[in-house]
Amino acid sequence: MAYDLYAPFVEATRSVFRLMLDLRDVSDRPAESFVRGDSLSIAIGMTGDLTGEVIYLFPSVTSLRMVSVMSGMEVVSVDAFVTSAVAEIANIISGNVLALLSVDSLECDILPPELREADDSVPYALHAAKCLDTALGDMCLDIRLNPAK
Amino acid sequence: MAKGRQRMFWRDKYRLGVPVIDAQHQELFQRVNDFMQTVRAGVPWEDKVQRVNETLEFMKGYVVAHFRDEEAYQRQIGYPGYEAHLQKHRDMVEYVASISKEYEKKGFDEQLMQQFAGRLLAWLINHVAAEDQRIAAYAIQKGVQSHGI
Repeated sequence: MAYDLYAPFVEATRSVFRLMLDLRDVSDRPAESFVRGDSLSIAIGMTGDLTGEVIYLFPSVTSLRMVSVMSGMEVVSVDAFVTSAVAEIANIISGNVLALLSVDSLECDILPPELREADDSVPYALHAAKCLDTALGDMCLDIRLNPAK
Repeated sequence: MAKGRQRMFWRDKYRLGVPVIDAQHQELFQRVNDFMQTVRAGVPWEDKVQRVNETLEFMKGYVVAHFRDEEAYQRQIGYPGYEAHLQKHRDMVEYVASISKEYEKKGFDEQLMQQFAGRLLAWLINHVAAEDQRIAAYAIQKGVQSHGI
């Protein structure tokens, strides 16, 4: 299946970062250079024409800065408040991806965010991973999907 | 935990240019801000739970009232995305009701309120910065933005 899987995800992420966080310069780089460290790992399941999951990895520093910008408060630890806010951002990005996929006649739906690692037990025909650099820090998208047909 | 600066997370960029909606959004942000600041205040949970419960009820009441008024405005101007927007409001009201019920059932659990505050923060910013912009764009395009609610 020759489909640029990464494009709708990066476009949606850029759009959400710009609207919610005023981040206008977002560049991408290979996932291999991503230093995972103590990143939040947020999984969003996908159903429909594409099934599988997208893993959003947000390093602690990035997470704290993002929530500080949104809330106007200083946040100093990745607690339930920060985790939930970042998970909702991943949920919003994924929702925007659905709209972009539907333009390409791919009808999908998403499942609620889960705080967990990727499911490595399932093989995926479509697997793309990249990192995004922003003024608030980096993050990584690990997209693992199978076409339904 | 947050270090208690009583900053408001409203930004001028959230202004839509429709006075009746802008005034309500600022009030909504103020109430969510009060709730969030109370939940995040650096004092023991037992010392602030009563205040959290008060601001939660105060904020919940306004969310429902604002959604109702905003929906009435959309109907008045014949907003074509009314049904989809209405569903987003209904989903949020349902989520708030469900969390409130669970919160009471669990005996006013702090972690649940921290999670709720984080999700509400991200949801509200996205809803106003992205979703509601479409209503304003339609109203301004049609020259009907000054209609009262």
